[in-house]
Amino acid sequence: MSEYAKPLPYPTVESEPFWEGCKRHELLLPQCRQCSGYWFPPGSTCPHCWSTEWDWKKASGRGRIHSFGIYNRVYHPGFEGEIPYVFAVIQLEEGPRMVSNVVNESPDKLDCDQPVEVVFEDVTEEVTLYKFAPAN
Amino acid sequence: MSNNLRGKYAIAGVGHSKLGKVPEMGPIGMFAVAARNAIADAGLTKADVDGLVTRGPDDVYCHHQRVGAALGLNVTYSTSTDNGGASQVLGVAMACMAIDAGLCNTVVVGFGRDTWSRTHRNETARKRVNIGIQNQGEFGPEFGWFGAPSNYAVSARRHMKLYGTTKEQLGHIAVAFRDHASRNPNAFFQKPLTIEEYLSARMIVDPLCLYDCSIYIDGAAAVVVTSAERARDLKRPPAYVMGFGFGNRLSGWFEESNMLTTGAKEAGEAAYRMAGIGPEDVDTAQLYDCFTQMVLLQLEDYGFCKKGEGGPFAGSGALLLDGAMPTNTSGGQLSEGHTEGMLQIVEGVRQIRHEHGPDRQVKDAEVALVSGHGGNTACQSAMILAREAS
Repeated sequence: MSEYAKPLPYPTVESEPFWEGCKRHELLLPQCRQCSGYWFPPGSTCPHCWSTEWDWKKASGRGRIHSFGIYNRVYHPGFEGEIPYVFAVIQLEEGPRMVSNVVNESPDKLDCDQPVEVVFEDVTEEVTLYKFAPAN
Repeated sequence: MSNNLRGKYAIAGVGHSKLGKVPEMGPIGMFAVAARNAIADAGLTKADVDGLVTRGPDDVYCHHQRVGAALGLNVTYSTSTDNGGASQVLGVAMACMAIDAGLCNTVVVGFGRDTWSRTHRNETARKRVNIGIQNQGEFGPEFGWFGAPSNYAVSARRHMKLYGTTKEQLGHIAVAFRDHASRNPNAFFQKPLTIEEYLSARMIVDPLCLYDCSIYIDGAAAVVVTSAERARDLKRPPAYVMGFGFGNRLSGWFEESNMLTTGAKEAGEAAYRMAGIGPEDVDTAQLYDCFTQMVLLQLEDYGFCKKGEGGPFAGSGALLLDGAMPTNTSGGQLSEGHTEGMLQIVEGVRQIRHEHGPDRQVKDAEVALVSGHGGNTACQSAMILAREAS
């Protein structure tokens, strides 16, 4: 396998468990014990009620494309040969939104609010990325 | 609520460095030239300056100290602000508040950056900038999400989905600003742009094409803020600061409806309230135009048209010099050049002074709205300038 040439995530102490979850093919979200709210990206304090009591919960992996763009310009050599590729803001069923790619579909067939579900890509031995594909 | 700062302070001088490709100067050097020109424009001297507000700190640590050193200044008030492109209008407001607090009397507010040279000096520099800035972090770069165009692309597509906004309507923003730039000898792009050329341009991040994006230039601009009373005795007609306001939706661009209704709504409401006017009283708008989409949102958020109607409004020719709301009459950052909103303040002042010839002057311009926008897309700033303080 050739060396992976795209950027890899630089986890923080607060996001490390999220990326560990991805390696197990689980999409984890922080959920507040006090207000039951979810948030993303991970952080030590619930942005809804400021509680610091919360748990990692496995998300359903289902969501919708809130909006998306199609990259036609290479900003990083790792993406040469990849354009056009789709990046999107995904509205998760649980409430938070996250940036990701939409894969397994031609860009011109996508639309805002289209249902999608998570797929995992083991890009290196150490790193697994979460992406989204049109829901069946 | 009354506000005792209304009309109490004014912009007394404006200036800029050489704009465009200025490989022989660095950002601090260009800033110094712009400051010198602004002070001379006001009819003041170095000895009068006792305040300095610059925009930092992504270029250098303690930015205002570097600028102050280049100008040989000792002052009683100075700092660097950190609201991205919303910093410049914020700087003018901070100058007014500092003078009002008795901390200083004459404040230089400015911005300068070698943005063209730094990304176009050679191919290595270009790649280093792109990779160096973007390659560290998470929840973005690993998905090929780089730079500002992405944020405005998702905003544009969502706006199109909800309100039926078209690519052609966005194009009329770029075409109108280019029309203005064709009358501005300092503009980076002066060749008129047709809607056909716009629609056939290559995509950068679809739905945004080349002409939806502002042009990075080398350049600096600065203004001088002092009391209205003093400004009246100086060389130029004062541009009175009638109101200012801010809206910083720090929760994030992707949260709630922030990519469709921005902090410009709160910024505008506060600025109008302080000035005691409404959007119907504004004669010209100088809006922060990093991308056409950001102009579209601000036309709505500042109340020049209803939410969702920015597309038809721009498409009607409203932004042209003889339109309903002549906007970015220098060509803006899309065509004159990107200096993080500093040249928008300069142009607002020049319009209020009736300084331009008939081909570029907004007829009888009494009131200008100037805006800033930036940081991590969260921050908005607005300012109302007027020819009369009454």
